[in-house]
Amino acid sequence: MSTETETETAAETAAGRGLLDRLRASPFLSQLLSNRLAVVGLSIIFGMLLVALYARFVLVAPDFGLLFEAPRAFVQGMVSPDISLLTRSRLGTGVPDRAAPGWTVSGVPANERLFGTDASARDIYRRNLYGAWLALKFGTITVGLSTVAGVGLGIIAAYYGDVTDNVIMRTMDVLLAFPSLLLALALVAIFGAGLWKAVAALTLVYTPRFARVVRGAALKVLEDEYVDATVALGAADPRVLVRHILPNTLAPITVQSTLNFGLAIIDLAALSFLGFGAQAGEPSWGLMLDRGVTNGLQTGKWWMSFFPGLFLAITVLGFNLLGDGMRDALDPRMREAVD
Amino acid sequence: MVSKRFIAKRLLLLVPVLFGVATLVFAILQLAPGDPARVIIGQRASAEQIAQVRDDLGLDDPLWVQYGRFLLDAAQFEFGQSYKVAQGRAVRDVLADRLPVTIELALYGQVFGILLGIPLGVLSAIRQDSFTDHATRVGALTGISVPIFWSGPLLILLLSTYLGWLPASGRIGSTIFLPTSWTLFGMELPLTGMVTVDTLLVGQFDAWISAVQHLFMPAAVIGIYSMALISRMMRSSMLEVVRQDYIRTARAKGQGARITLMKHGFRNALIPVITVIGIQFGTLLGGAVLTETIFGIGGIGVTIVDAIGASDYTLVQGTVLTFALLFTLVNLGVDITYSYLDPRIDQ
Repeated sequence: MSTETETETAAETAAGRGLLDRLRASPFLSQLLSNRLAVVGLSIIFGMLLVALYARFVLVAPDFGLLFEAPRAFVQGMVSPDISLLTRSRLGTGVPDRAAPGWTVSGVPANERLFGTDASARDIYRRNLYGAWLALKFGTITVGLSTVAGVGLGIIAAYYGDVTDNVIMRTMDVLLAFPSLLLALALVAIFGAGLWKAVAALTLVYTPRFARVVRGAALKVLEDEYVDATVALGAADPRVLVRHILPNTLAPITVQSTLNFGLAIIDLAALSFLGFGAQAGEPSWGLMLDRGVTNGLQTGKWWMSFFPGLFLAITVLGFNLLGDGMRDALDPRMREAVD
Repeated sequence: MVSKRFIAKRLLLLVPVLFGVATLVFAILQLAPGDPARVIIGQRASAEQIAQVRDDLGLDDPLWVQYGRFLLDAAQFEFGQSYKVAQGRAVRDVLADRLPVTIELALYGQVFGILLGIPLGVLSAIRQDSFTDHATRVGALTGISVPIFWSGPLLILLLSTYLGWLPASGRIGSTIFLPTSWTLFGMELPLTGMVTVDTLLVGQFDAWISAVQHLFMPAAVIGIYSMALISRMMRSSMLEVVRQDYIRTARAKGQGARITLMKHGFRNALIPVITVIGIQFGTLLGGAVLTETIFGIGGIGVTIVDAIGASDYTLVQGTVLTFALLFTLVNLGVDITYSYLDPRIDQ
């Protein structure tokens, strides 16, 4: 009995060590972590993630004390938080509207209204923080959905070839014949405005890019003999696709997803900026920028557009730095050059 | 040399794509929520008005008849009238007026990007891993990450609101009026619709200066993105080329480093950059939509935003198709140029 447990534990540790060792020895990871810019990118993303989580689970979440007083209300508030604090107009409550950040005005405490207030007297700092949650949440959903759809279509097109391949890839060609923001706008004309609809539109816009990359990678894998061997051994199509082809296309998928993340966040904000994404009052960076342009540009109220754009640009830069580093790390030529 | 076979093949491949594009554009009106006629004419319209619009658009015909008619009309750029945004004007006329505005903006943006992007990329490659190189690379990545709808407002705040150097919106000073035509050897010719060209054609130099001042910020904002992409591609392409054997051969024959780089390296490194210029043209057009909105320039970018906002579907269809066509043709041009510069891809 005891020997059996010992063996098991030993096996587990071995497996655990194996994984760690493999990660440590992986040329990709060490390459990536030795790229200073990629590490900066990773840190930016991590920092922005913390901001987003803080905004969603602390800033607008119910007070922790409520857990003991009214547990139901607490859970309710955690699941669907009340963000009216951020969205409702505060005009007439004594808070000045379009007020400059406290630290730029003498006689006002420096940390009061850190990023100023907007035309409805709402606090831009808090709205900005919540904007991080919206950007990362909807960005993740957009990239996730288009990755899954594009990977599925790309692998199927490569594996079955012939008519299937032609039907899928020619459809993708049509979608790629539109400039991406224009296709998103055309789809929004059909779907209507709103953040979820913008996500649906952008998912359709990005899917062809993933399908192309994955199809190319999968075709390369299909040339390998082990795939023929697996098929000859009697493996069913889904098994070959999921167990053998998918894992071997993961590298290009990861790079494409990371680079697309930045793009998705910009495009979502662009749709909100044009009025087709986030709707009135929602604390999205794109919509805040639009309000800043409308209400603050001619009068020089710079804080209304400066801060939302700064957060947006930094987040996108984070994903671009990381994606760039990943691409370099995966490119064997770059590796040789460094070695 | 470009083979005729390559061009023929490339043109043939275009047919199904354009067919698909037209189908998708057709679907905009069909899939739009609610009765399109009612949405187009507005909620308060009378039954007769709605019936009139249904009749104009042929909405009572079977779907396949509508589809066939749409394809025929679209081939002639006939989309009917714009019901809301241009109050009854033909969509084709609206596009003819506004397309030159967008093309002018896109061209200046592209020129800005190329003129700055290529030298920066070359500099970065020649001084690989130096401070210049790192600064250029980080700068380029930042350029790609900064959205137009942030850099635009910031530039306006700085150069217009605070410093008052440049006008914040529009295409030309409000006190300047341009004639509708110009004369050449006694012939009266129509203007191009591009202010920086038209002002010169009619010989109003002060108006030209005003037009350039108005165009500077929008073109710069749109060009920053191109610049970033082009300099990145130029750098990596240049680094790739200098490792080739023919560069070593040229050096071994005693040619100077600088001349080799410029004569053999630069020219060959340009080839992939041309592809990038084509690919990012789509982004440039998307950027035009945002730039026109920010700077109050009445091109087709603003038109599509207004048309979608007003559910002016015929105008949406015309504008989307124009954008897709423009993008497709530029990519075709890039492919043909590429095959001309690098005959190997044709095999």
